[in-house]
Parts: sequence; structure tokens; C-alpha cells
Amino acid sequence: MNNKGIDRDELFREILSAYLRSDIAAIEFEDRDHLDGDTIAAFVEGNLSEREARPVNSHLVDCSFCRHRSAELIRLDLEFAEESAKAPEAKPAPTKVSDVLSGILGKILGAGEGAVFAHQEDETKEEEDRKDDRGESE
Amino acid sequence: MPSDDPQLNNLIRECSDTIAEVYEACVASQPNFGVSSDSFTESVTDSVSKFLCSGQENPPSADEVREFVRSIRSDDLFLAIACAEGNERAWWEFDHQHRGYLERISRHLASTDLSAQEVIDLVYVELYGTRVVDGVRMSKFATYSGKGSIRGWLRTVIWHALVDLHRASHDEVSLDGMTENVGEGYTHSTFKNKDLGGEDQMIDHLAHEKYRKATLDSIRTSFSSLDDHEKLLLLYYHSEGLKLREIARLAESPGSPLRDWFQRRSAAREKDPSARIHESTIMRWLDKTYKLILERFCSELSGKHGLKQEEIDVCLELATRDLADPDIYRNLASNAG
Ligand SMILES: [Zn+2]
Repeated sequence: MNNKGIDRDELFREILSAYLRSDIAAIEFEDRDHLDGDTIAAFVEGNLSEREARPVNSHLVDCSFCRHRSAELIRLDLEFAEESAKAPEAKPAPTKVSDVLSGILGKILGAGEGAVFAHQEDETKEEEDRKDDRGESE
Repeated sequence: MPSDDPQLNNLIRECSDTIAEVYEACVASQPNFGVSSDSFTESVTDSVSKFLCSGQENPPSADEVREFVRSIRSDDLFLAIACAEGNERAWWEFDHQHRGYLERISRHLASTDLSAQEVIDLVYVELYGTRVVDGVRMSKFATYSGKGSIRGWLRTVIWHALVDLHRASHDEVSLDGMTENVGEGYTHSTFKNKDLGGEDQMIDHLAHEKYRKATLDSIRTSFSSLDDHEKLLLLYYHSEGLKLREIARLAESPGSPLRDWFQRRSAAREKDPSARIHESTIMRWLDKTYKLILERFCSELSGKHGLKQEEIDVCLELATRDLADPDIYRNLASNAG
């Protein structure tokens, strides 16, 4: 507060906030120069070292598109972590991956392509048994 | 296939012992994934190139590469490489370990007009890859670097798949709204019209414009003078409307560079590097940054623009009043050329 009774800090924060929301500093990037999902995921998880994060940070400052994507993923990360804490993950119903993939790919590509995942029943069964023996589950 | 960059290839050769060590551990844990040492090395080389070389002023040292290789989620990367190569066992393992998680994330995100199952179907197809380039199937798994967890990566894949689905069904997509978008940054910067009395009338139009331009120029210069982590903190809070606890989450990982930067000179950090990041910590970082930028803003106005203290107050008051017009800064910036 100065001698005129103006709270400079508060006024300045409002102005700064409006300036930052007006986005005039943002730079337009070519599609290929944006951060990919893998980089944003590693950044959001806090898994980048200082050296690795430096160019990412600098891109996020200049590119409102990637910053916005990263902000949405930060929100999702927290929301989902909170939801998961309330309801721990259930064990998925046992499934055969070939059924899942053949079904999906069959729907999209036609029956022929789905057959790419027609696999040996025995092997999968054996794998399932091995896992059950070890008591592995999520 | 080695990279096109001979310097990178030399570095990778120099670190081949570390890569082999990590590879052997993966093979020991998943002997049936059928991933060759060459394809593992190729994938690691791509990750090193992406995170340690591109956008960097200096090439990494061999020690940095070794540290990087040890830091990657090798089991997740090994699984992703095997899935990209279409290994049946790996797909079984992936489905067994992660499908439940994918379903939960999809249910969490999918809106009423899109079923979670549709999203899962789309994601599986994308993960498998239907496009073939030069005889090679383009699996989404090939874009996973192992730098973050595979689940964090999957969240991003699902989120983007949903954006694509929305785009397909709504022409125009807003990235907002899939997660709650109104943060504290938006609410507590709400503009209140200040009563400036008759003072405003005494300032003629030209002086008005001069103060406005000086304010914009100074705010731009003082913001530019901040370090990137300080700018990003302000942008996340004010422009993206992230809440303090969301920023705290981002800074929570003990290795988070955001945390390192802000706490570099902090005694508390020295005492307890694993201390939790609370909302109050983020507020402190914000306060520190506000203080810094306000000082620079005022010294710009007084130094470069030769304004007296009273004039700086007029600038602030005028700018606060200008907030009623959300395009004021954009207009001023374009007028300034
Ligand atoms: Zn970008």
C-alpha cells in the first residue's frame, strides 16, 4: 500500500492476470514442432530432469496449444488420482487378448485382418495359469 | 538401425554396457517378448535423441546418457517395444496389466454421447496401428519413450483419442471441459471497476495513451525477463486457471524440475528434499514471482519511461480500469506494431 492508498500488489496482479489471459505473447508453431503426447506425459508426471525439462518448459511458455493440453492432463492426473484413491482398481475380468483385438480389428477392418491375432490357445492358457500360480494381479 | 547422427551413435556405443545391462534385466523378466537387443538399443537411442539432444545447446556427456538409460521405465519400454512388434505374449501382458486401468480412465472421461467402450476400441486399434509405411505397421506403442510411466502415457493417448472423437462428431473442438476448467486463477482475478473520481478526466487522451503503452511495454518486458519456470507458473495459474493443488501435484515428484528451480536456494529443501509440496508452497512461489515481476515492472516504468511514482500509480489505475475491455492488451499490442 503506498501513500495514495493504492494497493500496488493487488492492482498489479489483476493487470498481470489479464495480460497473461490475453495470450498476446503466444507464438504459432507448425504442427510438427508441437510437443508429442509422450513428452507431455513425462512432463506432467514430473519425470524429466532439469536438462530434459528445459526445452519443454520453454515451449510451454511460448505455445498456448501445448500448454493447454498439458494443463488438461495435469487436471486429469489429479482428478483421476483422487478418484482412484476412493475406489481402488478392480481386477479386470479374465480375457483373451486375441478376442479383444480380433473383435475390435474385425469390426473396423473386416474379419480377415482380425485373424492376425488368432493365436495358440494353449500358450495363452499356460500363461494365465502361470500368472495365477504366482498370484499376480493388479 | 542406428541414428543419422554420428555423434549420437558414438555416445550410444560408449554406453552400450549400460544399455546391455538394462536390456538383460528386461529379458530376464520377460523372456518371451522376443525383443532383440538391436531394437531395444534403437528405441533407447530415439529416446536419448529426443530428450537429451533435440533443443539442447550442448550434446550430453556419456555419463548423462548412462544416467538417462538407467532412469527410463525399462520394463514398460520393453513391453511397448514388444507390443509395437506385435508380440502376442506382450499384448496379453499389456491387456492383463492395463485394460482395467484403460477402462476406468475412459469411463472417467467419456461423455454421454461416447461410450467408454468406443474409446477403448479406438485406443486399442491406435495402439496396434493400422497404417503401414514402407512395409512397417505404425503402432502407437512406438512413440512411447519410457521416460514417463506407461500409464501416464496411456492417459495422454486416451485423452487425445477423445479429443479426436469429439472433433469428428462436432467439427470444431474445444479442448476444455473434459476436465473441470475453472481454477482459482480465473476467479480471484475478477475485475472490479475502480472509482477513480474526477482524476481520470484530468488526464488528457494523449497522456492516457502514453501511460497505457508504457504499462504494456513494461509488463511485457518484465514478464520476458523472468525465468521460464517462473513464467510457466504464472501462465498455468492465470492463463490456464490451474488450481494451487493441481500445480502442487505437478511439482510433487521429488525429481520435478519445477520444484528444483524454485527450491534451489531454499534451506528447507536442503533439510528435507522429499518434503511434500502443499498449496501454501505454491502460493509462496507465486508471491515470490509477483514480487520480482512487480519490482522489474516499476523499474521499467521509472527507468525506461521516466515516470514518477505518482505516474506509476496512474498507470496501474488506468490499466485496472482497462481490464473491463478484455481485448485492450491485444489491441495495444497490434497498434504498437
Ligand atoms: Zn506446441
